[in-house]
Amino acid sequence: MMAQESVGLAVDEEFQPALPVRRGRTLGERLAPLRANKLALLGGVVSFLFVVVAGVGFVILAVPSLQHLYLDQNVEVTLTPPFHGGHILGTDNLGRDMAWRIVAGTGISLFAGLVVTTLSMTVGMALGAVAGYAGGVTDRLISGLIDLTWGFPVILVAVIFVGALQPGLTAVIAAISVVNWAGFARIVRAQVVSLKERAFVEAARALGIPAWKIVLRHLIPNMVGTSLVMASYYVAVTVIAEAGLAFIGLGAQPPTPSLGQMISSGRNYLYIDPWVAIIPGITIALIVLGLNTLGDGLRDIFDPHLRQW
Amino acid sequence: MARFIVRRTLYALVLLFIASVAIFYGMRVAPGDVADVMSNPLNSVYSAQNLRQKLGLDKPLPVQYVTYMGHLLSGNPGSSLVTGKPIMATLTSAGGYTLKLALAATLLTYATAIPLGLLAAWKRNSVLDQGVMVLAVLGMGLPNFFLAILLIQLFAVKLRWLPIAGYETPQTIILPAVCLAAEAIAINLRVVRSSVLEELNRDYVRTLEAKGLPEGRILWLHVLRNASPPIIALAGVMLRTLLGYTLIVETIFRWPGLGYQLVNAVLQRDYPVAQTLALLLTLAVIVFNLLADLGQQWADPRVRHQAGAA
Repeated sequence: MMAQESVGLAVDEEFQPALPVRRGRTLGERLAPLRANKLALLGGVVSFLFVVVAGVGFVILAVPSLQHLYLDQNVEVTLTPPFHGGHILGTDNLGRDMAWRIVAGTGISLFAGLVVTTLSMTVGMALGAVAGYAGGVTDRLISGLIDLTWGFPVILVAVIFVGALQPGLTAVIAAISVVNWAGFARIVRAQVVSLKERAFVEAARALGIPAWKIVLRHLIPNMVGTSLVMASYYVAVTVIAEAGLAFIGLGAQPPTPSLGQMISSGRNYLYIDPWVAIIPGITIALIVLGLNTLGDGLRDIFDPHLRQW
Repeated sequence: MARFIVRRTLYALVLLFIASVAIFYGMRVAPGDVADVMSNPLNSVYSAQNLRQKLGLDKPLPVQYVTYMGHLLSGNPGSSLVTGKPIMATLTSAGGYTLKLALAATLLTYATAIPLGLLAAWKRNSVLDQGVMVLAVLGMGLPNFFLAILLIQLFAVKLRWLPIAGYETPQTIILPAVCLAAEAIAINLRVVRSSVLEELNRDYVRTLEAKGLPEGRILWLHVLRNASPPIIALAGVMLRTLLGYTLIVETIFRWPGLGYQLVNAVLQRDYPVAQTLALLLTLAVIVFNLLADLGQQWADPRVRHQAGAA
């Protein structure tokens, strides 16, 4: 048993150079194409900034002693435009500071985006890889499930989930994940199907490496690029869906600030101060544009053949 | 091909069954019993109990499910708990509104995306092309509800050209249709442009040019036809996305279609209406999926052949 293990390991290491995953390059070298592509770089910077903002937002949402930043009301300074009275982005109809509300709302948006994408990517990659590698009845069952789920309108599923649960972030996250995993599973399955015919997989199989290890160590590393590209798009899709659901009153409930809900309440004051609706809207648009441009750039680097979705 | 159709239809039926069970049970496990909502709390537990019996809510869930589906299939899904109106009446009027809006948005999508995408590809890297691509990026990045706010602010609040919301006059459809179509226009623009670009490099285009055929004829007749498969393939995806967006866009513009009614019913916990509408929209999506799959098979001889062999 021991001997077999060590043989397996030795073979594995000997096998490394044949892997199409390139090694021995620094992260900087790998990201060189991103630096060359100015638009993608811009997308990356914008996305990174929003991740930082979301991190701060998450802290002020989670720490009770900081929640006053976006919750404190001041009826004397309601609906002030940006750059007035010490409020960089102005105040809303209850005199709450718009800038802090945007920070907290961005936290909620990206939190939803990351949770949904992590959940659906894990499930999607696992099921897609199993289906593609196993083939046969397993593949047919999982593919059937993928076909049935993929492309179902997220908003409709979310509304049904909200009907069953309560309006709120949990229902929204559950609903979007239930639909999105199939997008990952489709692509991963197709990739595994084509990868498993390649010589390096055949060689690994001939050497007696167990199937789970081939999938984990030889197939999944080959799909990291594609999955990253998809993940950036799916975070964007989730941010839009979460905001849309919050906008129609089905997402995160007040006092939790969500960008969609801020636009929705802001529309009542369009005549007085359009900024309360426009600022959160621009925030969403920037997050989505940043992620999409980054995704396009990453796609050019990792996999020029991959179509969106 | 026949086997493929049969298998896909079976899939669709299974999915419809699962969805109907999920929607039915989902609406039942939701907090707050229908009878408690309807009955007057001052009239004690007694009346809620009576009501439960009258509505059949005291029976086991599978029995309730079968009863409900029976009623639904015989064309009588019951009445709203909030307004008391028969659901069937709501369904026909709301369905008409949604159909009108979806049709307007679809027409707008293709009437804009096809000519603009074609021209952008033809005049590659021109100002027009760059403008079209900016439009495509914006259409993908601006969520439709935010676009709605911007358009309302500009055309309804500032310029007062169009109404803010409603459905009484013909102009009311313009803004919702534009918002509903925006993302579809953006995606189609990209697909039309890249598909046409690919075709323009082919030999037959050069041959036609050499023959002296006018540019317009080459572009609109030959290139467009050859570039159409990806556009058609996308149409199925677009239709069901559009259906999902009607929930948001109709709600913003108070357009009394299926989406608006469903969101309202869910918010008001009007279960009979919510489950009927949710089921109807799910059915529509499943049918679109089925049609898209079959359409793709039929349009692409290579896929057709593969499916026949499988």
